Amino acid sequence: MYDAATETVNATLAAPLDETGLIRAAQSGDADAFERLVRAYDQSVLRIAMNLLRSPDEARDVYQEAFLKIFRNLRQFRFDCSFHTWLYRVVTNVCFDHLRRRKVRKEDSTVVETQDGLVDQVTQIEEVGPAANPERQTWNRELSAGIAAALQELTPRERMVFELRHYEGLRLRAIGEILGTSEEAAKNCLFRATQKMRTRLEAFV
Amino acid sequence: MNCAEVVKQIPMYGYGEISAEMEERIESHLTECEACREELARHRAFVDLLDERDEPIDPTLLTTCRADLRRQIVAETASRPHTGWNWLGSVRGFTAFHIPFRVPVGAIALVAIGWIGAHYAPARFGGVETAGLVQPMFSNVQSVQPDSSGNVSIAVDEVHRRVVSGTFDDPRIRELLLSAVREESNPGVRVESIAVLKDSADLQVVRQALIDAVSHDPNPGVRLKALEGLKQYASDAAVRKALANVLLKDDNAGVRVQAIDVLTAHSDDSIVGVLQDVMQKEDDSYIRARARNLLEAMRASIGTY
Repeated sequence: MYDAATETVNATLAAPLDETGLIRAAQSGDADAFERLVRAYDQSVLRIAMNLLRSPDEARDVYQEAFLKIFRNLRQFRFDCSFHTWLYRVVTNVCFDHLRRRKVRKEDSTVVETQDGLVDQVTQIEEVGPAANPERQTWNRELSAGIAAALQELTPRERMVFELRHYEGLRLRAIGEILGTSEEAAKNCLFRATQKMRTRLEAFV
Repeated sequence: MNCAEVVKQIPMYGYGEISAEMEERIESHLTECEACREELARHRAFVDLLDERDEPIDPTLLTTCRADLRRQIVAETASRPHTGWNWLGSVRGFTAFHIPFRVPVGAIALVAIGWIGAHYAPARFGGVETAGLVQPMFSNVQSVQPDSSGNVSIAVDEVHRRVVSGTFDDPRIRELLLSAVREESNPGVRVESIAVLKDSADLQVVRQALIDAVSHDPNPGVRLKALEGLKQYASDAAVRKALANVLLKDDNAGVRVQAIDVLTAHSDDSIVGVLQDVMQKEDDSYIRARARNLLEAMRASIGTY
């Protein structure tokens, strides 16, 4: 179905994403390359920030701070570790900073009291997706709220390890590198997190 | 290995985070111990529950984040003019962050792909028209020829932008959209084009474009959008073949999850081999669980777990 004029484009599209090439291009000032790097990871970054902080405003701040740090320091990146390890390390640190600041401000909750009772503002974000089943939506809301509450009971480190392993699919070795710890320590952290989550969510199973 | 040791290892066994030797010892114990098999089943039910969490990223938040980042980077670059960054000079890059994520199907205003039309299909549309043209977006000097009278003849290649509007029934619009799906420099344009095209995947040419996008596009967001368009064609042989390939080879777990969900919506024996490969190669626990359930339902061998 392709005509000759699109052959070159197709050949480019068929090639796998060359992350190293993109990083090098971005380091030499290629805006498109940096944009592609951002877009390859930004949904994951936003999801981690949302799940960890339970606040759209703070997730937005984490997104900006993390990618600006990457932008400002990209030229110093020497491929000593993988790009995603470096990026997630930055994201993790920015998230932890937010949690620490929040602790100082004592605002560690998105739950507010309304006339309908206590409501988690984050779980009230309008669900996207067409033609969702209302019963399914209710179940999803309850489950999401239950999982969110269970995650809130973990320590920030356990929460981060759990998010990165379970929801982002990173290997424990990579998580250890991101957190500046050993694979074994990350494994222990994941084990504790899994046990706590399972106990907390027993009623749903 | 006793039961207490096995129970302690089950979460890491589920994540595939234990050594092959430990995995063998656990599996050997499981074949003989009913209680531990039940514990494994309970753990899998818990993992399935976690995977049911459905909290999509708010697209408005994502778009806002991208726009804010863009603004901040442009501001920083402008205040440091000699950094070598090419943000302000990159016209295409500049437009990329300002394309909205969703465009109403009936009122297409594809500003950004005007130049593609001029590039890909000049003959059909009679080349670049004078009416409605704005200043050239890009120009390249191809030759310079001074003559004895003092004049200089300069050959310039120019690309102009124009707005093309119409519905999907208009063959010009359709052709531009199909070209835009392959617009390599701008994933935003590709996502938008697929969002419009996916409702017409009953047309073979559109379905093929979606298959190409899901198989080859470097951007996972574009691949996911194309997958969305292929959902209702899960029984089509070409679609199934492409999705099987995606399931085995795509490097993004989110895309693979969508692929297995679409594939299993219409299960048949032809995917047994693919699912068995998944059981051997896949790291993601949700995908493995889906593949395992399906193989069990089809009474097929699960292979190495």
